[in-house]
Amino acid sequence: MPLKFEIGQSSLTGPRERNEDYIGVVTPENAQLSTKGALIAVADGVSGNAGGGEASEMTVRTVSADYYATPDTWQPPAALDKVITAANRWLISQANANRDLAGMATTLSLLILRGQRYYSAHVGDTRIYLLRDGALKQLTTDHVWDRPDMRHVLKRAVGLDAHLAIDFAEGALQVGDVFALMSDGVWEALGEKAIHEGLSKFNSAQMVAEYLTKTALNLQSADNSTAVIVKITELGADSLSERIADGKHLALPPKLCVGELIDDFEVIEILHESRASLLYKVRQIETNQIFVLKTLQPLLANDLESCNGLLNEEWLGKRVVSQYVPQVLPLSLEKRSKLYFVMSWHEGATLQQRLDSGHYFTVAGTAKIGIDLLRGIGALHRLSIIHRDIKPANVHQASDQRLRILDLGVALNSTDITEVIQNPGTPSFMAPELFEGQSANAQTDIYAAGVTLYHLLTRKYPYGEIEPFQHPKFGEPTPLTRYRPDIPYWLENIVLKAVARDADKRFETAEEMLHALEVGELKPLLAPARTPLIARARLVKWQWIAIFSFIINILLVYLLVVS
Amino acid sequence: MKTSFWKAGHTPTLLSSFLYFDLSFMVWVLLGPLAVQMATDLHLTPAQKGLMVATPVLAGALLRIVMGVLVDQIKPKMAGLIGQMIVIASLLIAWLHGIQTFQHALLLGLGLGFAGAAFAVALPLASRWYPPEHQGTALGIAGAGNSGTVFAALFAPSLAVAYGWNNVFGLALIPLGIALAAYMIFAKDSPDTPPAKSLSQYLAILKDKDAWWFMFFYSVTFGGFVGLASSLTIYFNDLYALGPVKAGYCTAACVFAGSLVRPIGGLMADRIGGVRTLLTTYTIAAILLFIMSFGQPTYVMALIVIIPTMAVLGMGNGAVFQLVPQRFRKEIGVMTGLVGMAGGVGGFYLAASLGYFKQSTGSYQMGLMIFATLAVIATIGLMGVKTRWRTTWGSATATTAKV
Repeated sequence: MPLKFEIGQSSLTGPRERNEDYIGVVTPENAQLSTKGALIAVADGVSGNAGGGEASEMTVRTVSADYYATPDTWQPPAALDKVITAANRWLISQANANRDLAGMATTLSLLILRGQRYYSAHVGDTRIYLLRDGALKQLTTDHVWDRPDMRHVLKRAVGLDAHLAIDFAEGALQVGDVFALMSDGVWEALGEKAIHEGLSKFNSAQMVAEYLTKTALNLQSADNSTAVIVKITELGADSLSERIADGKHLALPPKLCVGELIDDFEVIEILHESRASLLYKVRQIETNQIFVLKTLQPLLANDLESCNGLLNEEWLGKRVVSQYVPQVLPLSLEKRSKLYFVMSWHEGATLQQRLDSGHYFTVAGTAKIGIDLLRGIGALHRLSIIHRDIKPANVHQASDQRLRILDLGVALNSTDITEVIQNPGTPSFMAPELFEGQSANAQTDIYAAGVTLYHLLTRKYPYGEIEPFQHPKFGEPTPLTRYRPDIPYWLENIVLKAVARDADKRFETAEEMLHALEVGELKPLLAPARTPLIARARLVKWQWIAIFSFIINILLVYLLVVS
Repeated sequence: MKTSFWKAGHTPTLLSSFLYFDLSFMVWVLLGPLAVQMATDLHLTPAQKGLMVATPVLAGALLRIVMGVLVDQIKPKMAGLIGQMIVIASLLIAWLHGIQTFQHALLLGLGLGFAGAAFAVALPLASRWYPPEHQGTALGIAGAGNSGTVFAALFAPSLAVAYGWNNVFGLALIPLGIALAAYMIFAKDSPDTPPAKSLSQYLAILKDKDAWWFMFFYSVTFGGFVGLASSLTIYFNDLYALGPVKAGYCTAACVFAGSLVRPIGGLMADRIGGVRTLLTTYTIAAILLFIMSFGQPTYVMALIVIIPTMAVLGMGNGAVFQLVPQRFRKEIGVMTGLVGMAGGVGGFYLAASLGYFKQSTGSYQMGLMIFATLAVIATIGLMGVKTRWRTTWGSATATTAKV
């Protein structure tokens, strides 16, 4: 069920020569509404300079077009930050290039409505109000100098400064919410009380918008007056359920045998069978091409979570267009009678299979695997996808040596998790902080990549093998050279830095680790400093100090009594 | 914000279900310590002795499932009340009417099985009151009722010497009556009831290989613990000619060791891994049972072997129950019932087989050897579980569903 709302807009020039306010409203449909949401923007070109109108129009146009071109996996604030910063840069370069546009700038306040939440981005003194349950709330802060004579001078605006700081906010939507975006021409003339009254005066959003702008002009507002009113009439589903809504009716296929047909695919081989998932190598009858078909164990037919997980995985897989990830076949849901998805097949073996077959991983070979692996992880992270299950079994090396990261089954793509129940993953590859209940981030993936390289080189784990349901104590990682003295120190230091117990001692981004691996021997990292005993004994040292001082005190009391 | 444990749930229910559980376990294994005296009076063969002490164990195991269903259908408090009534009634009949034959003893054992099934009532009764973060503590406190088995071994034989074993059944009614009164007054059903478990859920979980293994694991650890707890009095009396009272004390020491270390097993599993802990415990248990099977010359030496055996089995119990709730997160209710039942079946097997082999071969060696072999098989099973578990745990939506 999609989000439904009603929009009213009005922009009047008033006594000014031209209208330098600009309204942008984008209301996409179907899938795009659920992934990206609707965008409502109001910009107020800074008057007094030439090009105020151009600035506001250009900014709103580029931002509203570019926002919908950002990857679907980006959360709105991240996407808005990217596109508004780009618009800012563009505006500044235009102002520098054209003398008559010098100093062009604009305020920008925009609202994204998606599913059950709203996201706002704001620069300047255009305001966003929210009327909820009869109470009016201003969602934005005006970026103006707080001095009576400078109330109109903007501290921040798009086009003003190369470093643009944008205010982001977000919150839950409710049916009946009324959002009002208005330029300073309106809110200054009306005042909060009149705005409050005006918003509840009419039922139609359009009438409210027109009433507000007209009243503002009647009250002798000297500025352009612009208002956009949005009334929420029906909430959408949350983003996860929207993603998987289309596939909900599909049931899991029974276990297939070699030679069996499912829709257009013939099973050639059962590739992999795990606790939850089933992978078949299949041939598409129509094209005679080989693919991999992924589905779940029939046992999980009633497990809604796992079924949703599979749909989510397909959704994510379709959005990662990268040579480091197998590509999901864009197969419409109507063509499928059962719950599964199909992705590209590549000749080769996973690193785990190579380990099992006794493959000897050389130092140079592992460093190269590390470079490719981190390129892949970096590509995922740039799409704000955290893989959460990097391990040799999920890294595939094709016959042409190309590396691919498999299994987005537990990948995380959402920053607004409120509660982590249990971190999924493979225990030995999970970073220490995950056992404490923190949620996964880029650095936990880097940790897993570090353990993967460690395991390839030594077939051991830096902190020993960790079992499921265990809450281990993490000490110091065992240096790789203890198991394999031929490993050069530069590689050892990189791996040890990646698997450091404290997240802030690890590489910050995949690119940083990639760079370290690329320069390798030429610019080696320093060996990690040994943690002194006093730092390793976190709480225990204080306990000992307390016991020690207690004993001394007893001794002193004793001496006092004796003397 | 986490509320304090004592404010979170319903303390009177917790304490009264602890009392109920504790005393139920006491009478559940009552026949074990009394077996020596009963056997002399009823002229029982070793196999009959074994069967007599094993009957409550088996009945308790199977009735756990029955009680589990009852708890779902008619609320825990009512189910517990019915269970207690049956136990009290059968003890009362045994006391007033007397146990004259082997068959009477078996019937009493059947009635006492309901006491063993208290597990399936007391735990949900108490834990349903508590929010998830306090469930562990609540289960721990209610589950400490396992210690009841010690009391039976400690007091029953001396009371039997003083008043005659038939009167012990009457004396046991006193604490049971107190527990029943406390239960009636203080225990209350929790307002929120989880949905009833259907038979198909039990069948569905049995399709999972891990479920079978865990039932087997528990049938070795808990089966060994309960089986030995029930037969040790006979064992000490038989091999070392100890009087019933002294044999009872020796049994109590062993049982005490076994129930005391249970939480340590859980902690160890948490810290170094459940599979690793179980591998260690099964290996040690197999070795110790093997040594035990040769029979030690003196009872002191026997104690030196048996106390660690019981301790290791007790730790295994703790380790299994650290893993089960996490591995079967969603099916925990059903799985606890099944695993508990398997444990009882294991106990029945051990106790009955010890008596059977004593009669047919003249020694306990065969029975203990076979049980040691079961521990070895469990070790092999664990290896399989270990490799199967080197995989991804948890699902993506478990975390994102709450967006």
